Amino acid sequence: MLKNVGGENVSKSKWLLVAILVVSTALILGCAQQQQPTTPAPSGEGKVETLYFGAPISLSGKFAEEGKASLEGMKIAAKWINENGGIKVGDVTYKIEIKAYDDESKKENVQSLIERLATVDKVKFILAPYSSGLTLAAAPIAEKYQVLLNSHGGASDYIFEQGYYYVVQTLSPASRYQTGFLDMVKAKDPNAKRLALVYEDGEFSRAVHEAAREYAKQLGFEIVYEKTYPAGATDLSPILNELKAANPDVLIGGGHFADGQLLAKQLAELKIDLKAISILVAPTFTSFYEALGNKAEGIAGPAQWEVGVKYSPEAAEKLGIEWYGPTQEEFLSAYKEAMGEEPPYQAAEAAAAVLSYAKAIEKAQSLDPAKVREAMNDLEFMSIYGVWKIDPETGKQIGHEMVIIQWQNGEKKIVWPESAANAEPCYPMPTWDEKEGGATCGS
Amino acid sequence: MAFVEQLISNLLYGAILGSVYGLATMGLSLIFGVLRIVNVGHGAFIMVGAFIAYWMFILYGIPPLISLFLAIAVGMAIGLAIYMLVVKRLVDAPELASLLAMFAIGIFIEEFAKQIWGADYVGYSWEIGGVSMLFTEVPFTKLLAFASSIVIAAVVYVWFRKTKIGKAVRAVVEDREGATTCGIDVNRIYALSFSLGIGLTVLSGVLVTLFTPVGINVYMGGEYTLKAFVIAVLGGLASPWGAFYAGFIFGLIENGSYTLLGLIPGVEPFGLTRFLSSVVLMLVLLVKPTGLLGGE
Repeated sequence: MLKNVGGENVSKSKWLLVAILVVSTALILGCAQQQQPTTPAPSGEGKVETLYFGAPISLSGKFAEEGKASLEGMKIAAKWINENGGIKVGDVTYKIEIKAYDDESKKENVQSLIERLATVDKVKFILAPYSSGLTLAAAPIAEKYQVLLNSHGGASDYIFEQGYYYVVQTLSPASRYQTGFLDMVKAKDPNAKRLALVYEDGEFSRAVHEAAREYAKQLGFEIVYEKTYPAGATDLSPILNELKAANPDVLIGGGHFADGQLLAKQLAELKIDLKAISILVAPTFTSFYEALGNKAEGIAGPAQWEVGVKYSPEAAEKLGIEWYGPTQEEFLSAYKEAMGEEPPYQAAEAAAAVLSYAKAIEKAQSLDPAKVREAMNDLEFMSIYGVWKIDPETGKQIGHEMVIIQWQNGEKKIVWPESAANAEPCYPMPTWDEKEGGATCGS
Repeated sequence: MAFVEQLISNLLYGAILGSVYGLATMGLSLIFGVLRIVNVGHGAFIMVGAFIAYWMFILYGIPPLISLFLAIAVGMAIGLAIYMLVVKRLVDAPELASLLAMFAIGIFIEEFAKQIWGADYVGYSWEIGGVSMLFTEVPFTKLLAFASSIVIAAVVYVWFRKTKIGKAVRAVVEDREGATTCGIDVNRIYALSFSLGIGLTVLSGVLVTLFTPVGINVYMGGEYTLKAFVIAVLGGLASPWGAFYAGFIFGLIENGSYTLLGLIPGVEPFGLTRFLSSVVLMLVLLVKPTGLLGGE
């Protein structure tokens, strides 16, 4: 043992650390022992232990808002699991605790925090940091220490194309952002064949729309027009004049906030009537309707999750899959109580990641990350966030569907998938001339 | 035929866009021409104008055309304040000092605006209809942006040519010491020009939203700063009306070339239009290093 310890100074401080650890462990154990009689093991036979899920999450820096929401979602899920029997492995019941560290939205911190969680805290299950960039930084370290990393805020497909085994995904990857909308159009109107794509020339929107184009071809759409515009464009009329001549039925496109608003605005100005439109990012914000007024009516867009989705134990039963975790109402009220506002989608996807770990550990009956990862291969369940199911090969999420929102009568409605929808899709959407006369999707 | 129709449609939109670009550059040229200060924070003032238009419309229902007057007043007040507090001390300082100062002021204004308006992308919809023109639809708001830009540019032109004070400004541009000996108070001319330059820039922000009433954000200025620099150089940096003509040409190239570039198979024409605008700039500078109206 002593051989492994380094120089003299190091060994001194190490001994001090060990002493502190021993004392504090004794204290904690003492407390735990005192508490144990008050929480008897449900079956009466097994013992209760604490299982830590690690979370390097942004509580400061540019992702602070998203990070805080994610962490709260994780806590709500952990609390629900603990109050509903914990995770049973053999005759041990595990209660979950989230061990969170602030990564300050920085890549360097993420890497050292993963290392710390894996080696110092001996955590085997890690909830990835927020955003694709930080998750990409975390992945190789998790892989190195063979601890599981569950991405709840990294949509990039690229992360899952690096051959990592221990990295799995809970949210929908970029390649699936626009596919749900195409499914919806196909279901509503098999004759709408002429599809156009107009999107921003950026990494994210390219990944989304190139995947959507291939998917559309499989569904039998005919691609009648496809063009990109550079970031920061102030006038899309050259593209849209061309688009009009191509006479499409359906349009998908967009990229970020500003260009998404601009695309919708200029489609209205140039009176390019379409049966359905889905724009990335911009339509999910209330500022979209404020900016466009009733010209926003009928415009759809993909979202990972929205308050108001109808995923429920009944919806799960209909699909023949298991339900796990709190209901929408429970989740909403727990979040509101803690944060004083409605949960953003980041909270729901982080909660789903915690639930997926609990479910997979119970299925594997082991705390060995390799065995849990194997158990994930054919795990399928539904939670507040929707279906969870990964591609065994890459770890990419394939069960979860993007919900499609659509502006109807001044309200943001969820119209797809059917198991989540709280309204019927408005199809075909009103024409621009009809809207000029005051028409909405509700009228 | 479709090709010709699209080319004409794009040129029409290009002309409208170009007029807004032109006006959005005049302030930059005026300040450079008179004070030899490069306003790298230019875009931030356009943003302020855009938010004035947005706020007036959303809060009080005031149409952007009326906001133009408020914008120039607010802009001139901001400009005068910046001149008194900062620029006055930097007129004779090395160029880098004023460059950095304007850069800092630009950032300050953006961050200050964020405290007021937040980081959201907002917009307003002033629906006054549109008209079918030359194979395409043009909303009246864009036509108003076009007409206002030309009228405002003309007013500025007449003011410079015909009024005494306008002539004094021109005298300072041509020869500062000469102007001083003729009894012109150079400091007052500086203050006036800087203030007017910022005023015109803030005002152009309102026109920008008449053309694009969505995507208004505190960081929207960067794109316009970049274009304004290209246009200003194209027009001959120190010449406000050179800038206006150049903006017009820039808009025509940006939109018009789209159709032509689209004829080349396998290229994304939209990305190349910016490239082409830069090529034109280079060619102009090769032939006439002072820009289009540099000598005037």
